[in-house]
Amino acid sequence: MTQPIANCPNCGAKIVFQWSSSVQTVCTYCKSILVRTDIDLKKVGQVADLPPDSSPIQLNTEGIYRNKAFAVAGRILYEYEQGGWNEWHIVMNDGASAWLSDAQDEYAISFAFPDQILPAATQIEVGQQCTWNNQTFTVTVITQAHYKGVEGELPFQYWDKTDVTFVDLRSQTGKFATLDYSDEQPALYLGEFVEFDDLKLKNLRQFEGWS
Amino acid sequence: MFSPLYLLYGFFVLGCVGMAEYRGWSMDAMNEVKNVPRSIRDNPGAYRGIYSSYHHYTGGK
Amino acid sequence: MSTGTPPLPNPPAKPQVKSLHCPQCGAAITLRSFQQAVTVVCESCHSVLDARDPTLKILQQFQAATGELAPIVPLGTRGKLRGTDYEVIGFQRRSIESDGVRYDWHEYLLFNPYKGFRYLSEYQGHWNDITVCKDLPILRTGLVPSANYLGEVYRHFQTAEATTGYVIGEFPWQVRVGERATVTDYVHPPRVLSCEQGSGETTWSVGEYTYPQEIWKAFNLPGQPPEPIGVFENQPAPATVSLRQAWLAFLLLTVFLLGLMAFNDMVASKEPVFSANYQLAPGAPKGEASFVTDVFELKGRTSNVEIKTAANVSNSWIYLNYALINQDTGKAWDFGREVSYYSGRDSDGSWTEGSRSDTVIVPSVPPGHYYLRIEPEADARHPQISYSVLIRRDVPVFKFYGYALLALFLPVLYVTFKSISFERARWSESDHPILQTESD
Repeated sequence: MTQPIANCPNCGAKIVFQWSSSVQTVCTYCKSILVRTDIDLKKVGQVADLPPDSSPIQLNTEGIYRNKAFAVAGRILYEYEQGGWNEWHIVMNDGASAWLSDAQDEYAISFAFPDQILPAATQIEVGQQCTWNNQTFTVTVITQAHYKGVEGELPFQYWDKTDVTFVDLRSQTGKFATLDYSDEQPALYLGEFVEFDDLKLKNLRQFEGWS
Repeated sequence: MFSPLYLLYGFFVLGCVGMAEYRGWSMDAMNEVKNVPRSIRDNPGAYRGIYSSYHHYTGGK
Repeated sequence: MSTGTPPLPNPPAKPQVKSLHCPQCGAAITLRSFQQAVTVVCESCHSVLDARDPTLKILQQFQAATGELAPIVPLGTRGKLRGTDYEVIGFQRRSIESDGVRYDWHEYLLFNPYKGFRYLSEYQGHWNDITVCKDLPILRTGLVPSANYLGEVYRHFQTAEATTGYVIGEFPWQVRVGERATVTDYVHPPRVLSCEQGSGETTWSVGEYTYPQEIWKAFNLPGQPPEPIGVFENQPAPATVSLRQAWLAFLLLTVFLLGLMAFNDMVASKEPVFSANYQLAPGAPKGEASFVTDVFELKGRTSNVEIKTAANVSNSWIYLNYALINQDTGKAWDFGREVSYYSGRDSDGSWTEGSRSDTVIVPSVPPGHYYLRIEPEADARHPQISYSVLIRRDVPVFKFYGYALLALFLPVLYVTFKSISFERARWSESDHPILQTESD
């Protein structure tokens, strides 16, 4: 469990990758987006100040999902017409990467589900049904979102996206799916809604006036 | 489960019926008289019952 | 966690409650939901403002009706619901119209930065604790449409168009006074499933009926809550026992009753102890009409004595003054019985009245030697009447079983009646009233 240590190519600050699966991180001092190659760190971009948001989760928040502990490693922030939401990159204690999405205090955990046939962004519409992993999902919302920023460590490269289309699907058994059209190849994530209390989160953000 | 109060009440009713049947209760109009002398057997006409149960004409139409 | 993590140069600040000023009237505006507000309404001048715009752009302004009641739970109040603290941050009055009558209800928006949002709705003193559904209900059409949610079947109660009449506080979505939405309610008391369709979005939420005392306790409100009026759509029925349980209990008790009756019939000795036939000649010369029977023995425990009198009366009567006398103790039971029977024909056909026999039960007669003293009387106009007297010891009294059945039945009848009238009151406000009042 060695933790790779390097120096930020931009400002020289010490960078530590806490999770071996991380590919990208953000320098906390100069806000440079750094990508890990075989030999060194490369700066690929810059993060503007993240807009203030209301998520009670922060980096290094810890929790439990299905009896496995996890820690929050990083996040991607999105904004859309109705507001914003976070996709927190969490790392399970067995090293697997997952995503804890947090939108208006509704929480869901999902895992990437690769190698599926996915419809193109232009071919999908609300009410349509898709089947993955032996479950039927119905499209509930199609959102045009803007990427607003990143923070912490991510398992892939992700920055400066222009408009991003997200398609939310729900099953009748509480499972949900997301189609992410940020890249050329759409990505599928399957997961389920979770209750805040069930995650047993620790090291949460403090809000003024709330204990 | 079943309403305990109603079952309690129901078994109480059953108990009352059981008691009534065992003790031989009745709802018919009755007057109890004490100390009827043995001499009545020889002289039935001397018996005087409680006058509250007087006879009355209930002839029909 | 390693110790090698470099310290953050500027630790993120605690999210703060925001204080701003209304661009219209300058009044102070507090945003309590930490960036989640989309719309906020100024309490002073009722300007609807864009909460995401740093200048609080004015989106709408409305006139509040004079004498608009303040929310029962004031904005900013904190209360504990289901173990979590919530703060009231928004309030709306919405209404539907039915047969020209406007029905108002109130909605409160509750907020907790960790748990998110919750709603309270209040209508005529009835409260509901509401959250947005995570799962989608399965709809079923038909005579009475229904929705299946989390394994429970909700029956369609009402579909109506709701208009927002009054708004204050902040909301995480767009609100305007005058906006309309189609609201469809499905009920499964104590819960209600509500579908709201408006401005291109469909939202499902589930509510749980909450008694006013709980609201008052949760929010520490002063005084007593107002008494709810009428029956609300998802108000749970007050009876703590279901009708099915009540009727099953009745059935069980009836079975026991019948069993007891059969047992009684089997076990009672019904022993004939005396039987005799007599003649009565009404026109007989004056003499002592009374006489005494032979002595007979009543055995066994203290129980009843049945005396059956039969007479061949036709349009006549016979009256017997009886005394059952204990030869040894001198205790007697004194009673009179009539046997009368009439019959005839009239315009409606033939009729009969009375009976040719009479049965009386003497109660609680201790064992011993007894005799009957009989003093007969008859209608003087009629010829000689023959009559018989049959005495049996320890007979079952079936009348008691009839009364017992009634005693068992009445509470169940009462509970059933109350339940039916409660449900009728519930559904009278719906799209599917149980009784159409227009008919008959």
